[in-house]
Amino acid sequence: MTSARERGAQVEISFVVNGEPRAVRAYPMERLLDVLRHQLQLTGAKEGCGEGECGSCSVLMDGILVNSCLVPVLQAEGSNLVTIEGLAAGETLHVLQEAFLECGGAQCGICTPGMILAAFYLSNGKPEPTVTEIREGLSGNLCRCTGYSQIVEAVAEAARRRSAA
Amino acid sequence: MRSNPSDYEMVAPGSLHAIVSLMAKEPGLWVPIAGGTDVMVQYAAGRLPARKLVSVWNIPELRCIEVTAGEIRIGAGCTYTDLSRDEVIGREFPLLHSAARWTGGVANQNRGTIGGNIVNASPAADSLPALLAYEAELILVSARGERRLPYVTFHTGYKRTQLAADELVQTVCLPRRFAGYFNHARKVGARSAQAISKVCIAALGRFAGGVVEDVRIALGSVAPVPLRLRETERIARGKVIDSDLLLSARQAVAAEIRPIDDVRSTARYRTAVAGNLVFEFLNRLGSVENVLARWNHLPIDEAVRAILPCCGSTAWARVMGARRPLADEAALLVAANETWRNLTPSEWLEAFQSHPRIGESRASSLEPRSPPVLSSPDQSLKWSAQEQSNVADSEAAVKSALADANREYEQRFNRIFIVCATGKSAAEILEILRRRLKNDAETELHEAAEQQRQIMEIRLRKWLQV
Repeated sequence: MTSARERGAQVEISFVVNGEPRAVRAYPMERLLDVLRHQLQLTGAKEGCGEGECGSCSVLMDGILVNSCLVPVLQAEGSNLVTIEGLAAGETLHVLQEAFLECGGAQCGICTPGMILAAFYLSNGKPEPTVTEIREGLSGNLCRCTGYSQIVEAVAEAARRRSAA
Repeated sequence: MRSNPSDYEMVAPGSLHAIVSLMAKEPGLWVPIAGGTDVMVQYAAGRLPARKLVSVWNIPELRCIEVTAGEIRIGAGCTYTDLSRDEVIGREFPLLHSAARWTGGVANQNRGTIGGNIVNASPAADSLPALLAYEAELILVSARGERRLPYVTFHTGYKRTQLAADELVQTVCLPRRFAGYFNHARKVGARSAQAISKVCIAALGRFAGGVVEDVRIALGSVAPVPLRLRETERIARGKVIDSDLLLSARQAVAAEIRPIDDVRSTARYRTAVAGNLVFEFLNRLGSVENVLARWNHLPIDEAVRAILPCCGSTAWARVMGARRPLADEAALLVAANETWRNLTPSEWLEAFQSHPRIGESRASSLEPRSPPVLSSPDQSLKWSAQEQSNVADSEAAVKSALADANREYEQRFNRIFIVCATGKSAAEILEILRRRLKNDAETELHEAAEQQRQIMEIRLRKWLQV
């Protein structure tokens, strides 16, 4: 609950980022993307289009995939955020990250954090997605290197590894 | 030009009461923001005129779906993901369900709300024609109280609505009276993922006694507001679906719509496509009902033979024949699913065995048979070939792995492997097969039965529309 303030006033906003409680001072309409990158130095989320079309700024907010360029930071108050930096366990990469590396799922790398988080979100709901489900799950993420085949293959490979594990 | 966040004030009062109280204090100054999929785009482009924003994201009173005997009440703060996951919407309001899945990518479906879409008032929004077709009503709320109005009156001009300066859309109500109707939704855009429509249609109809008994047609991107085509509906009502009706309906559509040239399309193209979409809808409405009407009147033996290829179980086909007359597609599917679930395992088995083994379909060279109502087992083979077309086109290595896994499955479970192959590649099917090899016998029987049920639904829909 935040009360009305003078225009232009910064507010204190707290959330959990990648498992750690964090607090920032920011203007309520600052984009979550900018706060993550500039204040918390979490530069994995990228700005592509800045209007919710490309998915390169994807993060998870309370478990759901969102475009952080479209989230005013005030709406992230009290939430649990996961960025690409939070996926690996220390030095051990997440199975999706491994699969992207091995299948050539990253070229220039700009779309990769968003692709991996969109795939992570998909696999939380559907541990064994079909190729069609993978394509639908990643339909909000654009890759301008157009390496889509390897990206889809990487997500399928990660699912195979999870089910074999 | 990017906006400066220090120029904006924003609050998140957390309850509906607090939000409307704030809006009442300074009417018109506070602009609600839900998931930001429209407001933040304007903000990023430096085109957001409002300077004070009130968050309506995730307010419990706005994010609930309530189902009563007469209607479904969808909170305006429900996201497209909420809508596409709701069972009643999926079953009774398929036009809204499809539109929810067409709107944006996953992340935008997780944040974009139905209320936001309504208030944003884009004539190109995919979900709004569906609300018109289902005759939605809106409940608007302010500190002064609630009021309820027909959605069709809400948009008064391009991006103009009946919403007062202190009001919020609270609920979208859809009457539950279109269960037996034929539903038709289609979007024409530059591509299928994330493209804004050039033209889209949401339409409902019921056919009885050889004529169009009732019809609702709504189009997007053809006027300053999402448009219900009342004159076209009036012309179609009570008519036989023939070339005269199709021609006059096309003319009525052209007279009713007011399309423009813009970045996505031209008025001329939109007029042609709008006519085609209505033409297609009426044609399909007629053919679905024709197939059923003819089937309903066949002698029982012929009726059983005609529907058998949709499932493959004689017991199922006999029960279906006995359950006639079935009024429409919805009644047919309900009867088909109930009948399927009530069969014994040995009756399921007969249906399983009616399929060619995956990857060994010998049906691809068969000629289509006609007429469809008198379809035969050959029809089943032809459908199998369509369903397994991705397998037929796949690499030799995958095909041979599939053949091996099929043999293993047959040795293990003593019957052929059943999977709803439509849209699945050989590699996907192989993966599924390998996973299911690990099932115990009971689990696997039910999984196979569920797959066969899905195949049956797809085939029934094709059967209605040949």
